[in-house]
Amino acid sequence: MSSSPAGELWVVQQGTSDPFHSLSLVEPAAIERVSGIDGVQAVVPVLSRQMNFAPPGGDEQSVRLMALDFGAFPASPDLRERFLPTQGQIVIDETLSRKTGLDEGDGLAISGVALTVAHVGPRGGDVLSQFAFVSFEDARAIFGVVDVVNYGMVVLEEGAQQGPVEAAIVDGHPDLQVYTAKEFAESVRKEIDESFIPIILILVIIGFVVGTAVVGLTIYTATIERTREFGVMKAVGASAGFLYRIVLAQAAMLTAGGFTLGVLGAMAVARLASEAVPEFATDFQVRDIAGVLAVAGVMAVLASFVPVRRVNGIDPAIVFRA
Amino acid sequence: MEKRSEILNVSALTKVFGHGETEVRAVDGVDLTIRAGELVLVMGPSGSGKTTLLTMVGGLLRPTSGSVEIGGVDIASLDGGRLTEVRRKTVGFIFQSFNLWESLSVRENVELALNIGGQNGGRARARATELLQSLGLGHRLNFRSRDLSGGEKQRVSIARALANGPRLLLADEPTANLDSKHGHDVMQLLRRIADEGNRAVLVVSHDERIREVADRVLWLEDGRLRAIGKMVRDPVCGMGLEVERSVSIEQEGRTYYFCSRGCSWEFRSEPARYLTVVETQARGN
Repeated sequence: MSSSPAGELWVVQQGTSDPFHSLSLVEPAAIERVSGIDGVQAVVPVLSRQMNFAPPGGDEQSVRLMALDFGAFPASPDLRERFLPTQGQIVIDETLSRKTGLDEGDGLAISGVALTVAHVGPRGGDVLSQFAFVSFEDARAIFGVVDVVNYGMVVLEEGAQQGPVEAAIVDGHPDLQVYTAKEFAESVRKEIDESFIPIILILVIIGFVVGTAVVGLTIYTATIERTREFGVMKAVGASAGFLYRIVLAQAAMLTAGGFTLGVLGAMAVARLASEAVPEFATDFQVRDIAGVLAVAGVMAVLASFVPVRRVNGIDPAIVFRA
Repeated sequence: MEKRSEILNVSALTKVFGHGETEVRAVDGVDLTIRAGELVLVMGPSGSGKTTLLTMVGGLLRPTSGSVEIGGVDIASLDGGRLTEVRRKTVGFIFQSFNLWESLSVRENVELALNIGGQNGGRARARATELLQSLGLGHRLNFRSRDLSGGEKQRVSIARALANGPRLLLADEPTANLDSKHGHDVMQLLRRIADEGNRAVLVVSHDERIREVADRVLWLEDGRLRAIGKMVRDPVCGMGLEVERSVSIEQEGRTYYFCSRGCSWEFRSEPARYLTVVETQARGN
């Protein structure tokens, strides 16, 4: 939702949980009343609904169709190109374009309304659904609604405080609920967090345990293979700390190698996956990579424990055995 | 003549393995003193306790009873940490099978020993280079140790043993895996080390040739140590033996010594054959 026009507040029907799982129906009159509140520059009516359609010669697809009624409210050419197509046009994103093969100038029909692709925008960040924008008139025809909208996007006057405006909306309109733009975006993200994050978390934990075991076993095997060499080190006076540093350094080098290969491999796989599955969206952030590096460091330390015990147990007198 | 300082003083040293009917006294009440500048050779048959003695002297095995004093410190009573420190600073080990860190270069082998001893970085590198050059290995510094000849490996092993300036060098069969030339070189090197520094060298070996460079030769048998008499070689089987424990015969005004009557009979039946061997050996030496 970050690429949406700048709406500081979103007005929805009371009891609406999120835009994907809850239908919000708001009367245009309520939108008008909110427009009159001090500090509100405009309230943009929004229609939005998940719709199925079949592109020419393709399989049925699902898309989150949206329409914004800017009316006389000024909008920049860029904003118009990305979000405000004229009647009979549709703006889709790159992911939907790749999934359906639709490109600029191609025609399609949704619920019997003929549309032409006016613009293919950059891919969105939502893996669950792609957003497409149509004109408000077309949305009414497609959704079959006349005197109702789904949301109101509130644009504040310059210098107006969000808090008092929000309080005024809530106080004067008990049938409405107000989300900040951030809350509204989070409500979209909530489904991913609740549905996928626990699974991904379990996969991460499994990866951590398996990674630690692999590093630990590799170092342990290397330690066993070099039992005599460690024995010689002990015989010539290497302290336990010195030997631990050697084992830890080996584990750190192995983990660093695994980390580098893992990051490069993940980037390569993400690229391949994105080619194969257009809606597979990945975003590598420095903060996340740094976090993985820190976790890899913890893995190296944990993976050293068993080999170190083995090294501590080596009898240095083995150096005299043939 | 100035009396040289005592480096090693072993007193009533005993090591017993097992108990009851399976009890074995590997080392039994050994007394031994070695002074700075001395090279002492301990000989004896296989299983006589030579390596067990060396292992206890080096602080790698705790004795059942008795004491091992190195530089006046009884290492038998030290805890693990202090014992490690003694091995690091006071004792240098030379092994029969060299025991080099084969994945490291020649210089790194000595450098790692210096790292263990607390010297790091350029200082350790310079010291390792200097030490290896003094032992004639300057041209092999960056070679992998596994690519060296046996004699070179043993010299690296000696350089590593000397790295942290130990007062006592312990050598376990240092020439056993070497041919006669390299064995001779290593013997001379050990002699030089004993002569040059304020340190002592204790060697356990079967190799008769080391007698040539030893100040004293001791005989260990059944865990007990005693001074050894004059050693001779049986011309038939080549075995080294003490004169006092041999079978002797006179032949053309010379005395020959044998390990058994069988060898002496063999010699009598064909003396010319064995005398040729003796003369060839004498010329070779």
